[in-house]
Amino acid sequence: MTELAVDIVGLTKAFGGLKAVDDVTIQVPPRRIHGILGPNGAGKTTVLNMVSGFIQADTGRIDVFGDDVTRLKPFQIARRGVARTYQNIRLFPGLTVLETVVAGAYMQRSSTIAGAILMSPTERRERREMRERAADLLDKVGCRAPHSALAETLSYGDQRRVEIARALATSPKVLLLDEPTAGMNDVESEEVGRLLVELRELGLTLILIEHNMRLVEEFCETVSVMNSGALLAEGAPTWCLEQDEVKEAYFGKRSDAARIATLRRARRGPGGS
Amino acid sequence: MSTTAWMITLQFAGVNALFALAIYASLWTGVLSLAPVFFGAVSAFTFGYVAGTLGLSPFLGLLLGAVLGAGLGALTAGLLIRLDSHYLAMATIAMVLIGRVLILNLPAEYTGGATGTLVPGDLGTWAWLIGTLVVAAYVMARLAGSRFGLAADAVREDPAVAETLAISPRRIQFIGMIISGALGGVAGILQSSFLQYIGPDTFYTHLGFVTLAAVVLGGAFHWLGPIVGAIVFTILPELLREPMGEYDRVVTGVLLVLIIIYMPRGLVDVRRLRLVRSRWWRPKGGGPEPGGPDPRDPQPVVRAEVVS
Repeated sequence: MTELAVDIVGLTKAFGGLKAVDDVTIQVPPRRIHGILGPNGAGKTTVLNMVSGFIQADTGRIDVFGDDVTRLKPFQIARRGVARTYQNIRLFPGLTVLETVVAGAYMQRSSTIAGAILMSPTERRERREMRERAADLLDKVGCRAPHSALAETLSYGDQRRVEIARALATSPKVLLLDEPTAGMNDVESEEVGRLLVELRELGLTLILIEHNMRLVEEFCETVSVMNSGALLAEGAPTWCLEQDEVKEAYFGKRSDAARIATLRRARRGPGGS
Repeated sequence: MSTTAWMITLQFAGVNALFALAIYASLWTGVLSLAPVFFGAVSAFTFGYVAGTLGLSPFLGLLLGAVLGAGLGALTAGLLIRLDSHYLAMATIAMVLIGRVLILNLPAEYTGGATGTLVPGDLGTWAWLIGTLVVAAYVMARLAGSRFGLAADAVREDPAVAETLAISPRRIQFIGMIISGALGGVAGILQSSFLQYIGPDTFYTHLGFVTLAAVVLGGAFHWLGPIVGAIVFTILPELLREPMGEYDRVVTGVLLVLIIIYMPRGLVDVRRLRLVRSRWWRPKGGGPEPGGPDPRDPQPVVRAEVVS
């Protein structure tokens, strides 16, 4: 059996009495675009937070390319090749677009404090290379904003692109994307979709939380559907979305819908339009 | 003010700028620390003792301050960096308080106790002061934009996100404390050399708060900020003393409040400059770019979403 890129087994996390994630198993082979779906509050972001080490799992195990990362700190997990973006964009205030991406290349740099102070030839070359690499990454993600602009002043879509570029600057093997197309129009979402495929061709494994079903069906090879912390279905996106449990989780029960319709009619009262 | 008074005030402004840079160095990595005052005290009293008993060339004196301060910075970081921000700040204030107790109670041959001790004044010259300040500013300017500098920016703005970029916040803060220690040690040596007499109150809370205010008001986001802040807030009270008499502090206080309200990032604010520049790039009308809605708009954007 080939090694899995991300192997999540029996993951559970409770906040107080609420089980945010309940015995979830998600296994993603390398070079796969895997979607995590589910209504709001299903525990999707909590799963990503546990994979990137933001929060500790109560039970269960997470392996990244065979390494157990369950109890590691976020920076240790990042050094094993996991990068991520955020549902609520988290850029560094005060940094320019280019600086933001270069900041992501921390582990790609070897310069020392002394080298920086003395401005050694290595330091000069590295600074130049880092700027060029960051510019390339910004091109790749399709960010057309001026590189010397403050990242926080960009349009919503460009901020998301800068965040992806910053994550890519860490040279990740696994990229976790939390709603990468939130706030984007159809054309922009399509661009993100094509970027995902391009990154996959470069050897990355991508796990994304996404609400745009058209994008999911077009670009995700497999999906896991969650509801109330538990796994509902997994497999090909079209198949998953046709399952009754999944439809129920998103739209409510058919009987509920009928009851709500009756209530609406009743409230409008006789003679209402 | 007389010329001599001006000179003395400017010299203190320079030394305060060094202390302010020391506080800035750790603040850069998100650590609010008054420990440089303590580092300065230890360096100054050690310098006084060593120079008094063995003799010490000026350059070796500065080196002693830098090395001693850096070592103490590393020690402090090792012990305290695990604390959360507020508790860490309080612990460093406690260090300043403990420093005074130590100075008062150590055997008088070391610190002079309550009467204080004499320090050689070889380093108390303009040349040494300006030279040291230029070197310190150069170091900080070089570090800005370096691997450490960008990591420090990231850790200060959002340590959690910095961690997912493979940056270890503790490590960055550790380095920040060492730089802060070295600068604090050097500042202490220069301070003592200018005064030529140091006592238990020379390196105490007053110095800590004045220099911290200099950093916050000058600007804690660029190396020039602490220097400008220290110069402005050392000279201003002296300038106001003549026309205002006892009310000079009222004016300084009002000025502090105004700056905090209208320039929350301090006098030297690179971000504001960049914001102004960004505005020029925008198409006329200042509206959001066609790529998406205005990022300042807090409303979530309509999107194709199955969730009701």
